[in-house]
Amino acid sequence: MSSDYEISDDENYSYEEEEEEDEMEVEDYDDGSASEIEVDGIGDDFKVPGGSERKVYEVDYMSLSQPDVEKIMATDVNYISGIFGVEPAVAAQLLRHMNWNKEKLTDKYMDNASQVSVAAGVDLPPREPTPPPPKASSSRQSSTGPTRTARRSVAETSKTSKSTKRVASPAAGVQSFVCPICFDDSQTETMALMCEHRFCSSCWKEYITSKVRTEAECTITCMAEDCNIVALDPFVKKALTDDMETWERYQELLVRQFVSCIPHLKFCPYPSCTNTVSCVSAATKSSLLTMVPIVACSIPTHVFCFGCPIDADHRPVICAVAKMWLQKCRDDSETANWIKSNTKECSKCQSTIEKNGGCNHMTCKKCKYEFCWVCMGPWSEHGTSWYSCNRYDEKASVDARDAQARSRASLERYLHYYNRWANHEQSAKLSMELYAKTEKKMEEMQITSELTWIQVQFMKKAVDVVFKCRMTLKWTYAMAYYLSLGNEKELFEDNQRDLERAVEELSELIEAPIDPETIMALRQKVTDKTVYVQKRNEIMLEDTAKGYLDGRWSWNATVDGL
Amino acid sequence: MDARLRRVNKEIADCKNDKQSSVTIDLVDESPFHLIGSFDGPEGTPYEGGRFQVDIVIPDNYPFQPVKMKFITKVYHPNVSSASGAICLDILKDAWSPVLTLKSTLISLQSLLCSPEPRDPQDAEVAKHYMTSKSSFEDTARYWTMIYAGGPGKEGLGKGAKGGPRDEIAMAGLDRAHVAQFEALGFDRAKVIDVLRRLNYRGANVANINDDRVVEELLK
Repeated sequence: MSSDYEISDDENYSYEEEEEEDEMEVEDYDDGSASEIEVDGIGDDFKVPGGSERKVYEVDYMSLSQPDVEKIMATDVNYISGIFGVEPAVAAQLLRHMNWNKEKLTDKYMDNASQVSVAAGVDLPPREPTPPPPKASSSRQSSTGPTRTARRSVAETSKTSKSTKRVASPAAGVQSFVCPICFDDSQTETMALMCEHRFCSSCWKEYITSKVRTEAECTITCMAEDCNIVALDPFVKKALTDDMETWERYQELLVRQFVSCIPHLKFCPYPSCTNTVSCVSAATKSSLLTMVPIVACSIPTHVFCFGCPIDADHRPVICAVAKMWLQKCRDDSETANWIKSNTKECSKCQSTIEKNGGCNHMTCKKCKYEFCWVCMGPWSEHGTSWYSCNRYDEKASVDARDAQARSRASLERYLHYYNRWANHEQSAKLSMELYAKTEKKMEEMQITSELTWIQVQFMKKAVDVVFKCRMTLKWTYAMAYYLSLGNEKELFEDNQRDLERAVEELSELIEAPIDPETIMALRQKVTDKTVYVQKRNEIMLEDTAKGYLDGRWSWNATVDGL
Repeated sequence: MDARLRRVNKEIADCKNDKQSSVTIDLVDESPFHLIGSFDGPEGTPYEGGRFQVDIVIPDNYPFQPVKMKFITKVYHPNVSSASGAICLDILKDAWSPVLTLKSTLISLQSLLCSPEPRDPQDAEVAKHYMTSKSSFEDTARYWTMIYAGGPGKEGLGKGAKGGPRDEIAMAGLDRAHVAQFEALGFDRAKVIDVLRRLNYRGANVANINDDRVVEELLK
């Protein structure tokens, strides 16, 4: 069973590769099966037959709020706390340390509980018989080892009573305590973790606030140098006292850490959104080769891909191909356009040459081949008619141009797809802008004519559909670029052509002038067309999705993971 | 009083009172949050005899965030940028702990000079030099200590330098070809070495010092 559990390499453990699929209480939140809901509710006009069932191109997923995730975390914590017989806060830290892999934690803990506890920072390392005396002065430290940590152990640790054991016990009434951090001797409130490195409460508070807020760190170790003991949740809460904002941020960081450890959970990438999406079917890398897991958190506009960092719908192209295409666009587009319009290739060595002035007698800098810029033929054949090129049909120059054309073909091919890809993106944007204008007009019309609010909504629906379909079309060009030639590609392009034609027609209708006389007729036309376009879009997506499942698509480039 | 200010003042005072240590911390201006630290080059290293100055900036949430330190004195060391003085040391980054002080951090820098870590370099060129020829690296480091950190004069250098101008090139960390290139333009060798060293010239290096710039400097 494959699993792409990301294991932060933790020196102390050698994780086995064959690990069981994570069984994270799937049943807890998997039965809801809230499949993507068609955003309609605008009337039966737009009903596409068979709309309620999950389509083959859609994926089962579920949106979870932060409290939902916290509940799942608590279940795990209680489970571990129960079987190990430790405090829930300790169990939570053990789980965090093990990236929430309960099975592995249980194995390791049963094997060597103290080693795991020390590594997780919930227990002190066993005391060594006699630690070597720390070097007093540092002016002459011969290099003892390659470690570049500060070698001096700062011996300014707690001089206070060692009586209070266990976590978070403010030692009240300690006389003449000087906090080793702020050097304040007037502080009476002090706190220490189990390591008894004692500091004043206000330093703890500042330290934790700084860790949480500026470093987004949820594992807070003791402030003493080289001390690995971790501040557990009750301690953090106590130290933060009334700073609820930081405490909440801390909680959020804990949830994020949990979500990042579980393959079937993903945090919503939209700014300041705290929702999580659970998608079990897209949890493995191999599943991403046969599906495009487009999901949304409980906020419908927060659409993103569960499988890759693209925060938009990139159906019908699978993540690996989409990534390849975007990379190519970033790398090549501008350059390719420029090369196409400004350069030619040397017909002998294929070096790309820009003519930056002068006559047509070119000498390739690389291979010293001499040729004519105009006809691309060898310069020698120009014979006596130097500096004027009138021999289009000379055999050598025809050959040279053919070679040129061949080398340009791949560039042309790329630009063909790229231009269409970019065009759909641009058109989608423009149609949204147009809609903003239309909307105003529709509102006016609602007041001046007999039409009801619901009846003027057809424009919004149409624009939404156009936008959505243009996004599909956009990505079909990325897909077509990488599809191998053959019947399958031809069928794909037929579907693409049908969808494109329908979308363009609908686009045109939307742009038609609105006038109270003809509005009813327009409404009918737009509505019909919208339904048709939706249908075509569905066919496109369905066919590609089935194609992935049947393994029908073959690529002309190496796709990651295939 | 502001905890940061109290702490820094105390640290400066403690450092002043400690007469035994070679580490000193001085104010740059009125502000106690911008300081200059200095310490002696450790004995038994190419840095011995030099005095090294470090620019110290205390961040707003010191001591919960690490101090910002970089060498003012030019140092020839794999973990110190020969151009900017930036330092690659874990305690100045993620291994920082609030119990560390300015003094203990400066002492850590001192011990960094004792034990370079060329596998995690700040300055790749210097690290390469260190890896390929340690003795040649040490000659250069000693030479830099002498010219930049006020290290022992020519007599200390005598051990390493086996014969006149030839080694001067190597020790200034320069490429023979580069020196020859400008010598060919009719400049005096010593002057070429001096200028190239000052510009930290390394051919087509990151600083992108082009030939014109060097010539311009030579003509001054």
